[in-house]
Amino acid sequence: MAFFEQHIHDAPKTFLSKYVISFDHKVIAKQFLWYGIIFLGIGGMMALMIRWTLAFPGEPFPVIGHFLFPNTNGVVPPDTYAMLFTLHGTIMIFYAITPILIGAFGNFCIPLMIGARDMVFPTLNMLSFWLAFLSAVLLLASLFTPLGGAAGGWVSYPTLSTTIGSPGVGQTLWCLAIFVLGVSSTMGAVNYIATIITLRAPGMGYFDMPLTVWGLWLTAILNALFLPVLGAGVMLLIFDRVFGTTFFLAGAAATSGSGDPVLFQHVFWIFGHPEVYILILPAWGIVSDLLSFFARKPAFGARSTALSMTSITILSTVVYGHHMYTTQMSPLLTQSFMMLTMTISIPSAVFFANWLGTIWKGAIRFSTPMLFSLGVVFVFGLGGLTGLYLATVSTDLYLHDTYFVVGHFHYTMAASVLLGGFAGTYFWFPKMFGRMMNETLGKIHFWISMLGLNGIFMGMMIVGYAGMHRRIYNPFVYEYLQKLIPINMFITISAITMGFGQLFFVYNFVNSLWNGPKASQNPWEVGTLEWTIPSPAPHYNFDIIPVVKCGPHEIGNPNLKGRDFQYQTEELA
Amino acid sequence: MNLYSLYFKFIMISAKASEMSFWERIKPPVDISTNGHLIDSLFNLTTYLILFFFVLVCLGLFGFSYLYHKKKHPVALYVHGTSRKHIAIVVAIATLVFVVIDMQITGISNHDYMEVFTKWPKEDAEVVKVEVLGQQWAWNFRYAGKDGIFNTEDDIVTLNDLRLPTNKKIVFQVTAKDVIHSFSLPNTRQKIDAMPGRVSKMWVELTKTGNYEVACAQICGTFHYRMQAKLKVYTPEEFQKWQDEMSYRTTYAVEKENADLYWGWKWIANN
Repeated sequence: MAFFEQHIHDAPKTFLSKYVISFDHKVIAKQFLWYGIIFLGIGGMMALMIRWTLAFPGEPFPVIGHFLFPNTNGVVPPDTYAMLFTLHGTIMIFYAITPILIGAFGNFCIPLMIGARDMVFPTLNMLSFWLAFLSAVLLLASLFTPLGGAAGGWVSYPTLSTTIGSPGVGQTLWCLAIFVLGVSSTMGAVNYIATIITLRAPGMGYFDMPLTVWGLWLTAILNALFLPVLGAGVMLLIFDRVFGTTFFLAGAAATSGSGDPVLFQHVFWIFGHPEVYILILPAWGIVSDLLSFFARKPAFGARSTALSMTSITILSTVVYGHHMYTTQMSPLLTQSFMMLTMTISIPSAVFFANWLGTIWKGAIRFSTPMLFSLGVVFVFGLGGLTGLYLATVSTDLYLHDTYFVVGHFHYTMAASVLLGGFAGTYFWFPKMFGRMMNETLGKIHFWISMLGLNGIFMGMMIVGYAGMHRRIYNPFVYEYLQKLIPINMFITISAITMGFGQLFFVYNFVNSLWNGPKASQNPWEVGTLEWTIPSPAPHYNFDIIPVVKCGPHEIGNPNLKGRDFQYQTEELA
Repeated sequence: MNLYSLYFKFIMISAKASEMSFWERIKPPVDISTNGHLIDSLFNLTTYLILFFFVLVCLGLFGFSYLYHKKKHPVALYVHGTSRKHIAIVVAIATLVFVVIDMQITGISNHDYMEVFTKWPKEDAEVVKVEVLGQQWAWNFRYAGKDGIFNTEDDIVTLNDLRLPTNKKIVFQVTAKDVIHSFSLPNTRQKIDAMPGRVSKMWVELTKTGNYEVACAQICGTFHYRMQAKLKVYTPEEFQKWQDEMSYRTTYAVEKENADLYWGWKWIANN
């Protein structure tokens, strides 16, 4: 499919050109991976502070509390609490999950899996990372402004996020950081789309692409379409904050003219609902592939999985109103959004059935990536199904802005995406770094994470059902919530457990970089194109651009002799 | 604080935890409205339906994981799931989910929303009208007073103190002064956003007297968690008495020239 010759240049020699200003998609992928993992740590730490405050209000945060909050004897103060949940959301979504799932796996997997030597626009790719870096600098700088960082929630609804509610420079820097990150992600997205369309190896039709590439492609399309909308939204917000416009100011807050704060909610959620699919689609793709690879049989209904992911992508653009039921839209809109939201469960049911069909009558190998993939099926099952309560408008009247919502979207966006991301990390680590990760540590990591996150997010849904609102510094000022103290403590203890569980991953990851056993070319015995080349993947990946002759999931074919899988470069047995 | 005292506190709370059963503990606040049960029953129905499907997913997930472990089942079946039978099964599952869950709960929810929660009561003399103004970080309530007209001198104005009668339809008109708030009455299972520049509406009818709480559900700044109002529910007679007393007090106690008191608006009639 290549429309043009993919040239080979010499490998860069200097440290700067090799590791810093690199044009190589594999290096950029690793840069994004480190970037994401560091922010995952920061965001996770913030989550622990939030959890600590909710379970032990008035107690100093252990160990680092006195250093971070000297004025309050180590207790998280309420204004800092607001900053913490705002930045926890922002960091986890834009600075941890996006770089890992889209930045790292997108960059790494797309060219390797479609048989290309690099992205179609390497310079754009490099710029995409360094703009993301600039954005991170802006975000972290916002923490050191006189009034502190943004504190209006990750959705930053005006007028709280205008100078009425957040006078500090921190919020402006937050908007700017998101804008720059939007530019960075759009650059990446355009690059992914173009690469997948133009650089697929000869013979590779769209349905011969691994489902991982499908997921990343659909994500990139959504990113390219909707991040500019968010960019426009935060830019208008910056105008309101800095130049005195009144796009989002109304009521007594508006000194001249009048805008509408709800306008921002529309703009935000037009982006925001696709965003949750932007985050989950790569994980779905990875899981769909890995289930087939480790069940040693072809992906069940791969084509319908791809098509149902596509239809979810399309549907995701027309359902955003369910985030705004309590703003009292016209009932006609409410009805339409409710109905459209419900239709998403049809394609979801299709690929759930396909996932279970894939492991049905397989010969399942429970390696670490497989455990994490099965974990995704479990937690996404819970997360997806609990979305139904929130899609129906009347139950949403009660559950909106409670911890039920928090639990639900953490199941879908945090638990599923995180487990999918870990599955991908364990799976492609050999191809990235040429070494294997430790299986035992990986399995310990899986079970601790699984127990921890179910404890946390199930607990959140329970307290939400009991009426606990979100973003509340001390819920126990409300009498009807005081009975929830023990459950909140349970959630926090689960969160601390989960936090400690990640140390197994960090140790395993860092240790395996140097001491892991050398990986063979194809340690998992699968047939997609990245496993036809040595580990770690060499400079420019493929000496000769491969010619694809069969689908990505040809495993377990009884006609095969000697091994149970075949490479995509081989004629179907 | 040291670890020991924290451990001690933990033990105390664990001991307290056994005072109430888990199921008692996770119950939503007591329902004091005529229509709250609609939301509760839809919640329960959804729970049963999704539990059914989640059990199916788990059966597949754990069952297949157990049955088709490579030691038990070394040779995988080579199928692509593209046969007619397989497609039919997948389509059947998807249809089942749509018809059994989605159509049911959408239908019920749509009915409840259109026919109950947004079916505004006829605003005759029997209806109690309350104007609600959210501000950082308090709730202002305004009752029309004797003349039945809002934003006049005899209005009853309270701060963080909402008093309502049972057995009467109550209509709130809600807005906000500075940032977006959300007027939440967990005991009636309803909330509505309070947005600057807009007036949103909510109606309830209460059934139980007593003391309850009003919350702000939308993040509105540092002291969002303190934006709490008390709700006292009276019988209609007690409510009338309270109103009369307040009207009397208003006539004498309020400085009529204070412009800040006139934050109300002309009641926006239905249609």
